[in-house]
Amino acid sequence: MTQRATDGGELLAVDGLRTHFYTQDGVVKAVDGISFAIRHGETLGVVGESGCGKSITALSVMRLIERPGKIVEGTIRLAGRDLLRFSDEEMRDVRGNAISMIFQEPMTSLNPVYTCGDQIGETISLHEGIPRREATDRAVEMLGQVGIPDAKRRAREFPHQLSGGMRQRVMIAMALSTNPELLIADEPTTALDVTIQAQILELMKALRERNRMAIMLITHDLGVIAEMADDVVVMYAGKIVEAADVNTVFERPHHPYAKGLLASLPRMGERRTRLEVIQGVVPNPLNLPSGCLFMRRCRYAMPVCATPPPLQEIAAGHLSRCWLTPAGEPPAIGPDATADVALEAAAALSVAP
Amino acid sequence: MARYVLRRLIQAIPILIGISVIAFFIVYLAPGDPFDRFRSNKVSPEVIANLRRVYGLDQPLPVQFYKWFTTFWTFPWDNTAWGYSITDGLPVRDKIFERIPSTLQLMGTSLLLTVVIAIPVGILGAVKQYSIADKVIAVVATIGYALPTFWLGLILRQIFAQQLDLFPLFGKYSFGKEGDLLDLLWHLFLPALTITVVGVAGWSRYMRASMLEVLRADYIRTAKAKGLASSRVIFKHALRNALIPIVTLLGLTIPSLLAGAAITETVFSWPGLGFLGVSSVSERDYPVVLAFAMIGGAMVIVGNLLADILYAVVDPRIKY
Amino acid sequence: MESTQTTQLPAGGATLVDEVDLTPVRTYWQLVRQRFVRHRLAVIAFFLMAILITAAIAIPFLTGTAWRETSLERINQPASLTAPFGYDNLGINTFVRLMKGLQTSLFIGLAAVVVIVFIGVTVGAMAGYFGGWIDNALMRMVDIVLSIPTFFLILMLVAFWGTGNAWVIIIAIGLTGWTTAARLVRAEFLSLREADFVQAARALGARDRRIVMRHMIPSAMAPVVVAATLGIADSVVVEAALSYLGFGITPPEASLGNMLTKAQDYFYRDPLLAWYPGITLVLVVLAASFLGDGLRDALDPRQRVEAA
Repeated sequence: MTQRATDGGELLAVDGLRTHFYTQDGVVKAVDGISFAIRHGETLGVVGESGCGKSITALSVMRLIERPGKIVEGTIRLAGRDLLRFSDEEMRDVRGNAISMIFQEPMTSLNPVYTCGDQIGETISLHEGIPRREATDRAVEMLGQVGIPDAKRRAREFPHQLSGGMRQRVMIAMALSTNPELLIADEPTTALDVTIQAQILELMKALRERNRMAIMLITHDLGVIAEMADDVVVMYAGKIVEAADVNTVFERPHHPYAKGLLASLPRMGERRTRLEVIQGVVPNPLNLPSGCLFMRRCRYAMPVCATPPPLQEIAAGHLSRCWLTPAGEPPAIGPDATADVALEAAAALSVAP
Repeated sequence: MARYVLRRLIQAIPILIGISVIAFFIVYLAPGDPFDRFRSNKVSPEVIANLRRVYGLDQPLPVQFYKWFTTFWTFPWDNTAWGYSITDGLPVRDKIFERIPSTLQLMGTSLLLTVVIAIPVGILGAVKQYSIADKVIAVVATIGYALPTFWLGLILRQIFAQQLDLFPLFGKYSFGKEGDLLDLLWHLFLPALTITVVGVAGWSRYMRASMLEVLRADYIRTAKAKGLASSRVIFKHALRNALIPIVTLLGLTIPSLLAGAAITETVFSWPGLGFLGVSSVSERDYPVVLAFAMIGGAMVIVGNLLADILYAVVDPRIKY
Repeated sequence: MESTQTTQLPAGGATLVDEVDLTPVRTYWQLVRQRFVRHRLAVIAFFLMAILITAAIAIPFLTGTAWRETSLERINQPASLTAPFGYDNLGINTFVRLMKGLQTSLFIGLAAVVVIVFIGVTVGAMAGYFGGWIDNALMRMVDIVLSIPTFFLILMLVAFWGTGNAWVIIIAIGLTGWTTAARLVRAEFLSLREADFVQAARALGARDRRIVMRHMIPSAMAPVVVAATLGIADSVVVEAALSYLGFGITPPEASLGNMLTKAQDYFYRDPLLAWYPGITLVLVVLAASFLGDGLRDALDPRQRVEAA
């Protein structure tokens, strides 16, 4: 579909995405104004707690959101073309082909009544128009590439006959069988043992290298991010609160939430009796508080936080949604500053919405 | 698998014994006896006593049970294995076997029609959930399901056979037309319709529920993420899984087919097994009643076994 | 659902106390009621059932023996204010008789369900709580009862042991219908047995029976309540079928079923006769079914998010 540029041009550009769910109890703004971009061949890590909207973001990109959810605003450009304007047919052409997705639960993500080879072959056959016979052969090949021994036999087996790690490999094989430009991986290793986790990540890295594939990696596990991601986006309650390259996020986090996440990681060699925690709980999406959504859990909370901060560029390529100065200090605007003053100060520093 | 089937059949033996004991004692311990009908001033007590002797009713109960139970199983080759009917003296086995085709015709047709209609309707309801079509189907199905079969049969018969004179009132064939297929179908129509309506109402709901549950599964999300067209997703991926519980349920409903048939057959005087069962009870034709209890029990056991076997056939995850 | 929160922010540096989510807290029963009320059909069914039961009790009470009073003069009289459905071939007020029939049918249906619940809960609780050979033996029994074709068994019991006897009918339906309830209770008990609160009760020295009665049965009741409500529908239909065939309640007693038999015989005089008891029966079944569905969703909400 696009030229596989390795020059780092933008492959996927999401702008102002809002996905809301209209439930019986009210409107849940699962994704509320997200913008990010992924360049060819690069890996973007999307971090956040359960319920922050990261999975919904991924499903929105794939346009797999169903009632009562709806994408209400925004653009999602794949190589310049807005996916939200695609017809159903065009979208089906994209799914499993230009963009593939793998999910968290390999146990239940594969159809139990068809063989693995059949399910992989189906994708290949569909998108590349080759007959099923040939497609099944390719499927066996793929299984070999993802490191499944005795691939020919395994292809004829059913998902329940495989272990969790192998099933995830099958999913990866299925996703990569059409050589997609973007792989969206939603918590691919969360349901697996730690040792298997390591293997799967190695596999993903190798395939990424080989296929020059971009990855949108969604996880709550900072360790995985550190290992895989080039850039990181931190989400909280449906919004991005921090975005930067991976080194910056780990070494110089700015947003108090990101700081809190990193501080809570136990480190080797530390002697502690208590782990650092972030006080409080994630706000109820049906009952979001006013002001900055993180305010009530934030150790830096200030009166100005009653006005929700915009996402500001605090350094080159480093965005943060917080009133603190780039140095991490409370802004010099006086304790009774009104919102206008705060926004002005922000405008002086910022670029972004 | 063969070993599993064998094991189940062996397990069935004590159940059948249990059924035979229960049925026997319900029948023979009951107050009154089958010859009450014959008792009147004109009939002398000796005749009654004689009849009782002929049918073995003068012997102690355990002896009667023993005799009955041991001869029961010789039925494949001995047509007197089930005794003689008190109502008309015919061998019970013959009476029953004679009726089997009629019931099969009725139940077979009804079941086929039910499945052919209910499955697409159920799929439609699930795929187009919350739509107008779904709501209409749901309402109609619920009402249909709430209709007692015998009342529906009665009403249909009243309207179409009695008032409008479009269909026959009873029986399987009109006089002199035995063997005429068209005549048979004409007679078959109303009773089959009765059973089918209630059947569709129930099965379409199961199908819809099963389909809905499957459509929520993760692997359906995967299928969509692969870019498959929705018809593919529905008919290849979802349906195959949704049919699994339906297929096993089919096995389980085989025995209730007999019961459902009983009442409908009675309403339409359709000469099938069910009708025979009901009339034998009302006439206190004990040998027939007992044979019925056993057949019914056997059908339940076979139905359950069939359901389990079908389950293993359609679901690769199941291995016995 | 929006709550305005004006918070006092501490001076910079102090951490806040754990956040309180201000969505109102509800008790279990309030939640149950809330979920139930959401199902409009279930609510309608509830009122319908209430109306039917009230009519079935009140009208026979108010009219005394009118339901079986025959009268030569009133034979086949058409509908009037006091006789909305006219008089039948014996001069009996059809409407009044219908209500009496409804009373009988509802009584039998409800009583049968009581029997079912009683036997089912007892058997299920014992099997689930004690496990082992008791469980095995009881489940064998369930298998045997389930293996006999239900309707035929009821037919035999009623026909041979007590045609026309309401209590025999009740017991017959009860004896054949308890298996589902038993299985439900057993399943709940098997999982509850290891539950923390049961362990706690044991640790406090409570005797088995007390644990079962006070702690486990209430937890297991939800699915039983649902099954019982739906069971009312089945029982009423079974009774009607039995009476229709002539084995259940027989004239001069009134039942929805035997009114249908009469309707069949007297079709040529009044075709509508088959509709009154029939529709009434259907209404009872519909009310019980929707009520059961509503209760099921209210008591056990694994609900998906529904579109507003």
